[in-house]
Amino acid sequence: MNIRRTSAVTAAVASVALVLTACGGTAEESEDGGINQDTAVTVAWEAPLNELNLSSTNGNATQNSVISYMLNSGFNYYDDQLELVQDESFGTYEKVSDDPLTVKYTVGDDTKWSDGTAFDATDVLLQWAATSATFNNVEPVTDENGEVTNQDAVDAGVFFDGTTPGPSLIDEIPTISDDGKSITFVYSKPFGDWELDFTNQFVPAHVVGQQSLELTDAQEAKDAVRDAILGSDYAKLSPIAKFWNSGFEFTSMPDDKSLTVSNGAYTLEEYVENEYLTLKKNPDFKGKNQGSVETITVRYIEDPMAQVQALQNGEVDLIGPQASADVRSALEALPEVSTNNSVEGTFEHVDLVFGNKGPFDPTNPVYGGDAEKAKKVRQAFLLTIPRQTIVDNLIVPLNPDAEVRSSQILIPGSPNYDKMVADNGSDFYPAAGDIEKAKALLAEAGVTTPINVRFAYNNENARRVNQVALITDSAAKAGFTIVDTGRPAAEWGTLLGTGQDQYDASLFGWQSTSTAVTESDANFRFAPERGLNNYGLYNNPAVDAALDKLQVSTDPEEQFQLQLEIEKQLWADGFGTTIFQFPAIQAWDEKLEGVEPITISPTIFYNFWNWKLGA
Amino acid sequence: MFSFISRRLLAGLGTLLVSTFAMYLLVSASIRPFEDLEQSTNPNKLEQIAQRRELLDLDTPAVIRYFKWLGDFVTGDLGVGWRSGQPVSNMLQGAVISTIQLVAAATVIAILFGVMVGIVSALRQYSTFDYLTIFVSFVLYSLPAFWVAVLLKQWGAIGFNDFLKDPSNSPLVIVVAGLVIGLLCMLAVGGTVKRRATTFAIAFAATAGAILYLQLSNWWLDPNLGPVIILVTGTALAFAITALTSGLKNRRALGASLTTVVIGLALYYPLQSLFRMPFSWMYVLGLALVTVAVGIAVGYLWGGPDKGISARAASLTAVVVAGMIFIDKVMSLWPQYMGAPAINGRPIATIGSSTPNLGGNFWVQTLDTYTHLLLPTLALVLIQFAGYTRYSRSSMLEVMNQDYIRTARAKGLPEREVIMRHGFRNTLIPLATIVPIDVITLLGGAIITEQVFARPGMGTLFIRSLRGAEIEPVMAYLVIVAALAILANIVADLIYAALDPRIRVNA
Repeated sequence: MNIRRTSAVTAAVASVALVLTACGGTAEESEDGGINQDTAVTVAWEAPLNELNLSSTNGNATQNSVISYMLNSGFNYYDDQLELVQDESFGTYEKVSDDPLTVKYTVGDDTKWSDGTAFDATDVLLQWAATSATFNNVEPVTDENGEVTNQDAVDAGVFFDGTTPGPSLIDEIPTISDDGKSITFVYSKPFGDWELDFTNQFVPAHVVGQQSLELTDAQEAKDAVRDAILGSDYAKLSPIAKFWNSGFEFTSMPDDKSLTVSNGAYTLEEYVENEYLTLKKNPDFKGKNQGSVETITVRYIEDPMAQVQALQNGEVDLIGPQASADVRSALEALPEVSTNNSVEGTFEHVDLVFGNKGPFDPTNPVYGGDAEKAKKVRQAFLLTIPRQTIVDNLIVPLNPDAEVRSSQILIPGSPNYDKMVADNGSDFYPAAGDIEKAKALLAEAGVTTPINVRFAYNNENARRVNQVALITDSAAKAGFTIVDTGRPAAEWGTLLGTGQDQYDASLFGWQSTSTAVTESDANFRFAPERGLNNYGLYNNPAVDAALDKLQVSTDPEEQFQLQLEIEKQLWADGFGTTIFQFPAIQAWDEKLEGVEPITISPTIFYNFWNWKLGA
Repeated sequence: MFSFISRRLLAGLGTLLVSTFAMYLLVSASIRPFEDLEQSTNPNKLEQIAQRRELLDLDTPAVIRYFKWLGDFVTGDLGVGWRSGQPVSNMLQGAVISTIQLVAAATVIAILFGVMVGIVSALRQYSTFDYLTIFVSFVLYSLPAFWVAVLLKQWGAIGFNDFLKDPSNSPLVIVVAGLVIGLLCMLAVGGTVKRRATTFAIAFAATAGAILYLQLSNWWLDPNLGPVIILVTGTALAFAITALTSGLKNRRALGASLTTVVIGLALYYPLQSLFRMPFSWMYVLGLALVTVAVGIAVGYLWGGPDKGISARAASLTAVVVAGMIFIDKVMSLWPQYMGAPAINGRPIATIGSSTPNLGGNFWVQTLDTYTHLLLPTLALVLIQFAGYTRYSRSSMLEVMNQDYIRTARAKGLPEREVIMRHGFRNTLIPLATIVPIDVITLLGGAIITEQVFARPGMGTLFIRSLRGAEIEPVMAYLVIVAALAILANIVADLIYAALDPRIRVNA
């Protein structure tokens, strides 16, 4: 037994020795494991891309537009002053006539899709067809059980789901030049924001044609799309619309690469669901804003602190997490990281309700038909809102440069903001509030205090709860008693929109996604139809008239004058007050140079053509 | 038996039906599909709202929508996540795989360590080690996941990566590490003063020596196990495994275990050339099966009256040795991995499940997966570990006070056999009912852990869909979790019955 064991071990050791000598030679060979040696800039973003058609219902979201910003070029874009800049390397456009408003777009000769197909007027034409509702001839109708009753008609009909107001004003089918490079639109009535109607949201018409009409040749497919639109061929437009609505939706790299065709500085290289996507520089891109880094990776990280730690760990180079005091202090403690405090597109404001027989309603019987009294009460109330204290206590810890916003329409930092604030009459309401003036106004109005003000807000939002507490304190000094009608988030939206008889003042945020002058229309309009966002039932014919003019004004200076006129009315009427712009924070590794975030989308991705990755 | 299972399944189905109904109503009451539009100042807001109302069929009462959803669900149509237009079945696929990847390792490690520590602590009841274990496990048990995760990232990833820039430990660190490990081992092993002193000295020397070795051999930057470490560790483990499974007196089992170590070593270099071929997890699985087979064969070849016991010890050892060879190969790519531009000398990741733009072959990818799994796994282990320690400790204590243990001791069985064969096995019975339920709970996604580590698993899918007011992915998730929970309970009952002869399922 003993001998047997010993011999077994000996044999084993001998065999090891043999094998060792036999294989010793090859063990030294090293390999690099096939590792990719290229460098990349990595950016963190909150939500993953879900569609490359930015104009359809599902595609209309920030996570898509920021990626598309790098993939696709366009006729114009915002610069760091939020001024719209023409990109003439992509194509040009000019207003040919004011009456009727006629705009001619001409595509540059070098503008191409990444698969080599030329970008031309047909791509612009498709954008118009899809967003103008001209061809929409059927909408799903549902019975009381929610079943679509006209499914066959919907299947056969045409329904593009991306209708927008501007292109809807172009009723006439546009004309395309013979070389297919120019397209001319004639508006049925002037439209202030015409420049924002066709910017950079184009989808490749030839891909739409190939996919929906089962054609293989790119040019043939493109021509088919063009002919279908120009000839109002509903039978062909039906599949085109269906594909346009949802064909470009994907959440991981699609098998069919034609869906990712783009016309800008980068092409989509890889997309791993919910994790990251990789953009590679498009070598054939001839436009002005050439990608400067070879590869850009966007990683999807929802948690703000996780973004900060990923930055610290070198996994990402650039982040724009949701701002909070924690995030800010964590970022400021990081060495070799640049931090930028700024603002985002959403702003906080207080609106008063005019049409509910409450304290701010001019028709409230208490005032005996004297609208002037109600106005003084409104002004007095707005004077008690401690805007500076709110900003100092709640926003400055998140953004040390935070300031009180004093314009109802313009974003701070936009071209005319300073001029607007100087002239719009908001200086009647000092940022710090003015209790004495408020008391004096109340005395003039001759109302008995205390006045109950029912205050509506989302009471699950800690910041709003704190603001209401500050307002309650301050308002009490002048004789207003705040009655808390805050609701949880789930009920708050309904209360705001339809429960005007249950509140007198409301506190919430509006989000701007562009500098479109018609964007504020819905907030202030009463006639002929109340604006969708005019929750306070504000009614001022002068404002409505100015809004009407603004809709059709195409001259930037005139537009500003109209906006100023509207704001003067609003501030004088005590429509409400604006408090602060939501804080934003961005941070990047110092070795990444050229980052310059802007207030509205694409925020941190703006200026990607100047990014440089230092050593 | 059959009637028991079918009865339980039917009852489970009923529970599932009722719970989906309740959940559907609750979810549809709590989500706000228009939230993003409420703040919008888009000029076409009205159309957007109308379209969404249409799309989500919101004019239909939730109860009717539930039955429509149920009808689709049972016919295999899980619906669509409307914000991205993706079918729910696609969304689930990736999420399930990611979650299983995360949970599998964490559960196994937590069970192994938890049970081990729990049992040792039970055997040393009321000793310092026992109190220490109780203290630590309660601390871990009460730690919030998001906090542990953030700390792990700070020290385990950022701190460790910084350390890798210049990997050297000061003598003080080495001594302290040695003292701590030495102390822990001493407390765990216990015994007379002399024995304690010896244990402490050995553990101290081993720890300090290991750290010194790692440092002097530049191990942190060019890690490897190499034949020498595999031989030393393998031999030690062969002894340990034999000691636990059959006792060192069983010379055949020991011989068989040692033989597999030798075979493993003999194959070390030939395997290196094999590893250079295009590799995949299928090969790994195949090799693992071969390894087990070789272990069993060696055990049988050593012969004797209890071949089975030898085979068990040998195959266990074989798996451990093969595992070390595999790890060694993965480690060998560490320098290249560290040098990759996508890694940039900071290998331990805080987010995601893979590095973008890394490229690389099977081994690089495997290494990359590990560096991403490390921290989330550790976070889960720390929290779960505590529970298992508590369970196994109390279960072991109860068992060790049973009459049959006294009988076993009285009839003169060696203590190892009393503990391993009579104590340990019975300790596992209550654990067998806890583990399946625990695993299922984890499959539902370690929501917070996934969120903080930005892993695209089930938990992330759930929370994202809920925030986005997408009821169909949320329901799919809830149905899966509920169904698994019901199944887990049935399985736990069956396991219990199989393990404990006192329980009968058809009773």
